[in-house]
Formats: sequence, structure tokens, C-alpha cells
Amino acid sequence: MHVEFLSVPRRLAGTSQVEIQAESLGQLLTTLAAQFPSLGNFINEDRLHPSFVASLNGDQFVSDPGTVLGEDDHVLILSADAGG
Amino acid sequence: MPYGYHGSYLRIDLTSGAAEHVPLADEVLRQYIGGSGLGVKLLLDEGAALLDPLAPAAPLVFVFSPLVGSPLTTSAKFAVVSKSPLSERINDSLASSGFAIAGKGCGCDAMMIVGRAPEFSVLIIDEKEVRLESAAEYRGATCSATEAGLKARLGGHYRVASIGPAAEKNVRYSTISHDGRHAGRGGSGAVLAAKNIKAIAVSGTQRTEWAHPAKLTALSKSLSKKSFGPATAKYRELGTATNLLTFNRFGALPTRNFQSGTFEEAVNLSPEQLGTVRSKTRKSCMACTIGCEHIYSNGDSSVRVEYESLFALGSLCGVGDADAVLRASQRCDELGIDTISTGGTIAFAMECVERGWLDEPWLTFGSSDALLRAIELIGTREGLGNLLAEGSRRAALAIGHNSIAIAPQVKGLEIPGYEPRALQTMALGFAVGARGADHNRSGAYEVDFSDKVDRRHVTLDAVRHAIETEDKAALMDSLIICKFLRGVFEDFHAETAEMLHFVTGWDVTADELRETARRIVAAKRQFNLLAGWTPTEDTLPERFLNAPLSSDPEAVLSRQRLEDLVTEYHRQRGW
Repeated sequence: MHVEFLSVPRRLAGTSQVEIQAESLGQLLTTLAAQFPSLGNFINEDRLHPSFVASLNGDQFVSDPGTVLGEDDHVLILSADAGG
Repeated sequence: MPYGYHGSYLRIDLTSGAAEHVPLADEVLRQYIGGSGLGVKLLLDEGAALLDPLAPAAPLVFVFSPLVGSPLTTSAKFAVVSKSPLSERINDSLASSGFAIAGKGCGCDAMMIVGRAPEFSVLIIDEKEVRLESAAEYRGATCSATEAGLKARLGGHYRVASIGPAAEKNVRYSTISHDGRHAGRGGSGAVLAAKNIKAIAVSGTQRTEWAHPAKLTALSKSLSKKSFGPATAKYRELGTATNLLTFNRFGALPTRNFQSGTFEEAVNLSPEQLGTVRSKTRKSCMACTIGCEHIYSNGDSSVRVEYESLFALGSLCGVGDADAVLRASQRCDELGIDTISTGGTIAFAMECVERGWLDEPWLTFGSSDALLRAIELIGTREGLGNLLAEGSRRAALAIGHNSIAIAPQVKGLEIPGYEPRALQTMALGFAVGARGADHNRSGAYEVDFSDKVDRRHVTLDAVRHAIETEDKAALMDSLIICKFLRGVFEDFHAETAEMLHFVTGWDVTADELRETARRIVAAKRQFNLLAGWTPTEDTLPERFLNAPLSSDPEAVLSRQRLEDLVTEYHRQRGW
């Protein structure tokens, strides 16, 4: 699936997007932590640090590592405190 | 008297020249703490809700807190509380830095100003006296020039809060500024100007004692350490400006007076792009370890860049020229006007021109020149500026054509950079906000950016979450600690109760603080009720109701849904 980084996650990852193969949110995050060590402080095993959140296709925000992901899904990783 | 307080406020009558310390009862301090909470309580006691906010008798109060002067990070803050000349409702604006410490150092927990000085003056307050000096030489000066001039005249140990040229012209959304920060919203600058005061200079070194200094020091060190961590990374690394691309991605970036939720030139204004072509420095408020201020070079000068300014002067006006938007932000700071209300009012006028309701053909969306020209006119009240200086609600009533339907305001206060149809918990937060549409008094957007709600189809379950964020904001604004610190707390109420216990000695609990927050929110409502509030004010402009957002057909907020949310909010509040 397609993963898009925004805000601090983008800065840490050093890229705005990447393609990842994963069947669940937890698996995706584990893979991201391995592929982008700079994101490691923000991923605790298969969960995001509370200062980051994940959105599925820009519609709903998801946090359960068991959330099933499809091949065509678009996952956005962003800073949680979106306000100013 | 509890630790952390002086136990009195300084009441200054500019008309008579009298200044007296008025005792503050212990139970009042415990019930309202300081900052916004104590400020609202003092205004209620003074009968301020019934007064014209620009009348001499109307009080303007600067309120400190028990935490000011402590080693706790972000605690050097003060609240400026009055009735708003923009909304005619309660207004509490916060600012930071040395003014809070020097002001509390004068031996008081708040400074209430009533009356009107006989001539255009500087109000000087130190530990020995309160006096007025002529401000004639600062007439028309910017806040930074006034501050620098007064420090040179009085001594570098004075800390200065001042108004810019726009407040002198009675612009209804003019600011009070200190050290480059602004008590920005609601027009407190116009209130101070109505008292014939250009600036307040304070100098004091009186310190309050802490109940448990060793424990407070240990807690402060721990909190500072956490403030270097991931929970504040956004503010430290990129600043609030990073919201721009995020909001654009989610279709929540207000564009062209809320006609769209996406802006095709957003990337031009993003910190990621700004940082590639400009030098940047970071700055902190006094006693802050976060360092959220990102200051970019712009030509020969530099400007502090915040999301709300970028959105209001950029996407909301359809302007994607970064040079122009930064220049516009800088001019707002120099003139002393709130960037959100400035951008909101100009964007509204641009749409009125587009619709043929206003005959000012030069004022078009996307025009950098028009944006900058409109700001200058507002600051001087010349030409169209005289109308726009009144804010979008009053301007709409003057323009007619039912343009109030597209005036981007609630209770007269212009809406900040959160598209209500795409962020519907925030829509509720805006609708019920005591000072009008505001992101600092309701953090409901955090709920929308979480798995607690479906942000475009919220249900009544969102109401309790919105209330929680409003209560939390009321508490943070009364303690006072910076909201950018909010992410470092694992158990906010328990940890802030411990903080307050170490400072004051009170055996305060998390539950007591929850009750305190509700009391403060209720006090604001009480003020508004006395000022003439009616339930019809707790809503959004017609633009936001029933019709989908043009950039996102799924983003529809029906009038019925908003009414249901507001009704449920009132029910849960017990109002």
C-alpha cells in the first residue's frame, strides 16, 4: 500500500511517501520502524507514539495494530497535535 | 494566603489617579486559580458585562498565576481579560514572557485598569509607585519601537506591553503586544487605547514562596526533560506552520473565504518550502524549553511564522506568494492587529467584491497587492479600511445582501484555520465558544484528528470529547501553562494537581481541577449571559450549514446536526 508522511514524520523519514507491503497497521509500523530508523522513537513495537497518528485513506484515524489493510489502501502518518 | 500568590490585585483608576491593592480571598484563588479564570471572576465582580467595552469604566485586567516565577517550563504567561469590542462578549487573550514575571514582581496577582488617562500616556508600575508619563512621542509607533523606546527611557529592567498604531485608530481586533508576542484576539488593544494608554511598563522583583520548593524543582526538571521529547517535536522542529500541508491534505485548509478546503498553492507557504529559500532562527519565550517560534528572513527583515497567520493571510485570501504573506504578517505585527481577524475580514470583503456586493474592484482573491493595501487601510482606517476595521460581522451588516451568511465569524470573532465541515467536532467547539470561534479555547480539532470520531459525520458522542478539550483549555489558561506542553502529560489532571500542590500547598486533586475547569467555563458563560447572550449565538454562519464543501462532497454539516450537537452540549453542561 501507499504510505504518505506529513509534518514531523515526513521530516524524520526524509521522504514524503513510500510503498510498503503489509496486511495490518501493526505490521506496517514495524516495517516502517525497520526501514526508517529515525522514526524508531515514535513507533513502540507495532504502535505509534501518542504524538503521531495514522489515517486510513484520509477518512478515519486508526490506532489498533490489528487494523486490516488492503493493497490499495493509502495510509497517512502525521503529528497528532494538528492544531496551532 | 496560599503560597504562590501575593493575595491581592492592583486596581488602578486612570481617571482619578488612585491605585490600591485589593485583597483576594483564598477561596476565590482556589476556585479560579489565575489567568483567564481569575480574570473572568474579577470582571464579573466589577460588573463589566453590562458596560460598553470602550467606555472609561470598563475594566481591562492583566492576570498572572501562581505558577508565574516558578521554575516550571512555559509558566511565564499572563492573561489579558476584558469585554471584547469585537464580539461584545468575554475576551481572554494570553501572551508570554518577561512581562508576566516583572508584573507579578510588582507584588500583585493581577492588575486591573479602569478609567481614562487625562492625556495619551504610558502607565508605569513598579514596586514603589504607579504613575503616568506622556506617551506623545510614541503616538503612531509600532509595538516593537514603543517597547524599545520605553526600555531606553526607563531602564532595561522594565518590561513593556503596548499597542500599535491600529489600536490608536480603534481597530476592533487590535492587539496588546509584548516582546514580539501578542494578546491577539478580540481587540484588547482597542480597550487599552480607549483608556488613553499606549503602553504599560512594569518592573518588580517581589517573589512569592513555594509550598514545596524541593519537590517543585524536581518536578520542573522532569517536565523540562519531557519538553525536549517527542510530544513537542512538532513545535520544536517545524512550528505550527507545519499544519498547513496537513490540513490541505485533509481538505480542512480554509481557502478563499471558506469556499474550499484545499489550496493549490499551499506548498509555497509551507515551512518545508519556506525553509529552502530563507534563513531561519528559533526563539523561545522566557522560561520556556520548547522553543516553538520559527522566525524566517524576508528581505531585509525577519518575521515569526505561525500557521494561523499563513492560513488567514495566505489560503483564506487565495494568496500563494510567500513573500507577500510573510510581509502581510509582519505588517499586522507592526500595526498591532490580529492576523486571523485581519485575514478573515479581508477574505470576506474579497468575496463580497466577487459577488458584486462591494464596489472595490482592486480587492480580489489571490492579489498580493490587494492584501497588503487592505492591511494598510485597516491600520489607518482610511477608505475601505474604516469598514474592515470593524470586523467581518459589522462589515456584513453594513454591506447587506445577507452577506452575514458568508462572514467567517462566530459571535463576531473570525474563525481560525479549521474548516468546520471537514472537522465537525471543531465546528461544535466554534459554535459554543464563549469568546467566539477560537482554537485556543476549544481543542476539539484534536478529537477530529483521532479515532474517537468520524470527523465528517460526527454524532452526539463527540460532544463529551469537545467538552473535555474546552475544560482542559480553561484549566491550562488559568494555571497558566502553554498548550504546546499538553502532549507531555500522561495524566493531565493528576500531574497539574501535583504541580499546583507543590506551588500553593493546597491538597488539590485531579477531580477538584476538573470541577474548577467547569466553574471557569461556566463563569465565562455567566459573563456572556449578563452581556446579552442568547442561544441563537451558538451556531455557525449559514455558509457552513447544509451545503457540501466544494472540495469534498462528503464534508456536509446539516443545520439539524449542528443544532443537535449544540443542544446536547448545553444539556451536558447543565445549562
